[in-house]
Amino acid sequence: MVYSSLLYIYGFLPISLLLYYLTPRKCREAMILLLSMLFCGMISLYFLIFISAYTLINYLCIKLILRFRESDKLSAIPLVFGTVFDLLALFAFRTEYFTWLHRLIKAPEGFYPVGISFFVLSAIGTLVDAYKKRLSCECSIMRFSLYIMFFPKLIMGPLLRYGSFSKLFDSRKSSLSGIGIGMTVFVKGLAKKVIIADNLYMLYRSVQSSNFDEISAVTAWLGVTSYIFCLYFTLSGVADMGTGIAYCFGIRLPQSFNYPLLSSRIKYFAARWQSQVVQWLRRYITKPLYNSCEKKWLRETIFIFGWSLFGFWYTFNLNGIAFGALMGSFIVIEARLREKKIMELTGVFYTFLVVILCSVFLSGSSLSYSVKYFLIMIGGNGSIADTQAFYLMKSYIVLILLAMYASTDLFRNMMIRSGKKKLKIAVNIASPITTALLLVVCTALISYSGSSEMLLLRL
Amino acid sequence: MSKLTKITGRITAIITLSIIAFFFFMTILGKNESFSYAENRRLADVPELSVSGLYDGSDVEKVGNYITDHFAGRKTLLSAQTRLQAELSEQIVNGIYIGKDRLLDAEVSLRTPATVSSDIFNRFAEKYDGTVYFAAIPSSSGVYGDLLQARGISRSDGQQISAFYDFLSSKIRKIDAYNILKMLNENYIYYRTDTKWTTYGAYCVYKTVIQKLGFLPALYDKYSISHITDNFRGNLYRKVLSAQITPDIIDIYNYTDGAAVISCEKTTKSGNTIETELYDFDKLDSSDMYSVFLGDPAPLIKIKTSVKNDKKLLVIKDSYANCFVPFLIQHYSEIAVVSPEDMQKELSEYVNVNDYGQTLFLFGIENLGNRANLENIIERN
Repeated sequence: MVYSSLLYIYGFLPISLLLYYLTPRKCREAMILLLSMLFCGMISLYFLIFISAYTLINYLCIKLILRFRESDKLSAIPLVFGTVFDLLALFAFRTEYFTWLHRLIKAPEGFYPVGISFFVLSAIGTLVDAYKKRLSCECSIMRFSLYIMFFPKLIMGPLLRYGSFSKLFDSRKSSLSGIGIGMTVFVKGLAKKVIIADNLYMLYRSVQSSNFDEISAVTAWLGVTSYIFCLYFTLSGVADMGTGIAYCFGIRLPQSFNYPLLSSRIKYFAARWQSQVVQWLRRYITKPLYNSCEKKWLRETIFIFGWSLFGFWYTFNLNGIAFGALMGSFIVIEARLREKKIMELTGVFYTFLVVILCSVFLSGSSLSYSVKYFLIMIGGNGSIADTQAFYLMKSYIVLILLAMYASTDLFRNMMIRSGKKKLKIAVNIASPITTALLLVVCTALISYSGSSEMLLLRL
Repeated sequence: MSKLTKITGRITAIITLSIIAFFFFMTILGKNESFSYAENRRLADVPELSVSGLYDGSDVEKVGNYITDHFAGRKTLLSAQTRLQAELSEQIVNGIYIGKDRLLDAEVSLRTPATVSSDIFNRFAEKYDGTVYFAAIPSSSGVYGDLLQARGISRSDGQQISAFYDFLSSKIRKIDAYNILKMLNENYIYYRTDTKWTTYGAYCVYKTVIQKLGFLPALYDKYSISHITDNFRGNLYRKVLSAQITPDIIDIYNYTDGAAVISCEKTTKSGNTIETELYDFDKLDSSDMYSVFLGDPAPLIKIKTSVKNDKKLLVIKDSYANCFVPFLIQHYSEIAVVSPEDMQKELSEYVNVNDYGQTLFLFGIENLGNRANLENIIERN
């Protein structure tokens, strides 16, 4: 089940909200756990069993680490065991080399544990925190299960540390206006996914299905631009939907994306794109390495290595590594040149170019494919634009412009900076109407198939 | 949180939750229809949950399909989707191109190529004593594909047909319907809302086919043509419910002075034999008006005519041929029309193929990739 389906929006969501608010305050946490388990069970019963077993094993490891906390050596055993187990689970389902393992655990045909890239990192992080005695709060089985299974963050994060998740959970405040804000965020995410991402995906696919020896440079540019926008709107759309639902339950999850695409520096792009995952990698992998070396170039290498891991986390192949390594290198280069002052617009321009170049690698199926694609983009096929390019341009220009505008923070900034009361009132009147309208429009757009499941990357 | 945002939040909550509640209750309380007239298909049944279905998640998928099919206002939402989507992107919705005056299948390239089933026909021809003819008919996207040039499918039907013909053995005589139809595409030879050809399109190909089979074609002005409906909406329309496109006209060609049908026996799917007519006009009141030709789908229809030449023809076909068959009755004393996709048993259970001196295969290229539907015409062992 995905958030952008009729079954979820008009079935699971209203029923779960109703059940939650009918439950007495004391038992609400148990209710959310029950609902999350129901959500997992609706993906498939096998998934529920899988994730429950996964949670239990990790929980036992954490408890063992805490039990042996006096001895570093003794508590390292459950840490190593847990980490290896988690990594094995991640690699088993994200790569193709472990089909024997699927058979061993009797997974049904085509089984994929939704959100495994997120919950494995969550679990490893908690194991390490427990070992380093950095767990800031009590680890109860209920809270930990929720940490892994909480359905609004199951599919697309955000990736939080156990402590911060627990704190968010303790400080939850539910109110009717909270539900309203939550629904606004949910519908925003739904619109990002259904209106923008799904249609851009059509553009991406029509470029993909063309004959690569004939397509023109413009077409190739359109293809990769649509890919990166589609990726952004898919990931952030699904993340927003989750955040919105969590808000309806009074839990304020942080944003994963902060308008990264049209940033004025590569540095800013990097800081705003799926920031929790980048932070996780820094906290658990690159920072410990940093501390052990002083030299600048070594630190920069580690930085690039961290980004390569991030890219690898997306695709689990060489292309992802190339994407990350390129992005990391560009950030390093930018940092070295930082003394030069540049105009904001130039910054947006070169950042976008770099992002596009990197996403050629992220989107490709192999390195040689990506290099070839890049050559086509700079005119390798000998044609700048052909009828196909004009046709696609004409068909999608409105959508692309809309996507560009929606991926900047211009609107939000206008909202924040405007002190005028009249404007504020106007926006506040328009907001519920727009939300309602978008909800109906999105419902219509998914009415044929009943759901919009395209995720571009399986995370 | 300021007071203003609080109020806005509350209003938003009330509005959105009421929308959700509205659709929720309308869907639950709505009439449980099992057939969609507009889409001409059976809607999903209430799924029966089973342990194994829940275990691998397929049951929840079925529940999702059920809710989707029975969602309140599905028809309205679907046509709204068509309008919206056409504004947002290419004029392509649910795989259908919405042109100025016609709908086209835009996912031609996703079809299984027809070549996968060519060996079936070769094996049939191998065992068969008479002469075999093959006419593969392009779909409307093939003939009007220029509208979709930028998607690279303009040539695909023609290419697919010639690739398919290349795989057929030399025992089979191939008829080039594609170029005939392509040349005439200024005329009303394809429905605007369906992938299939019109009766006129069928007539144009009939002229060539019947010459190959060894007869002179009947002249166009010998026919009296009746427009039996101007409100036909075909399979393409059903996926988008777009009201922008003018509904189609269905024509029936009647050769008043010619041979008549003496008997028309239909073997139904359940194996019964019933007496029918070439046209089933009751179908004009159903959701599938195209079934007016030859009526309900059946594995075998045996037509005896007043022609006295002892010539017998076996037609093995799909729905493209339904409007084509009536043209043949001027030339044969007996025609057996076999539809492999409706057969429950092997071909030999229905007819003895060697009773027929000629066999005509007539298929839409779009249906030839579906191997499972065709395999019935050869012996399994």
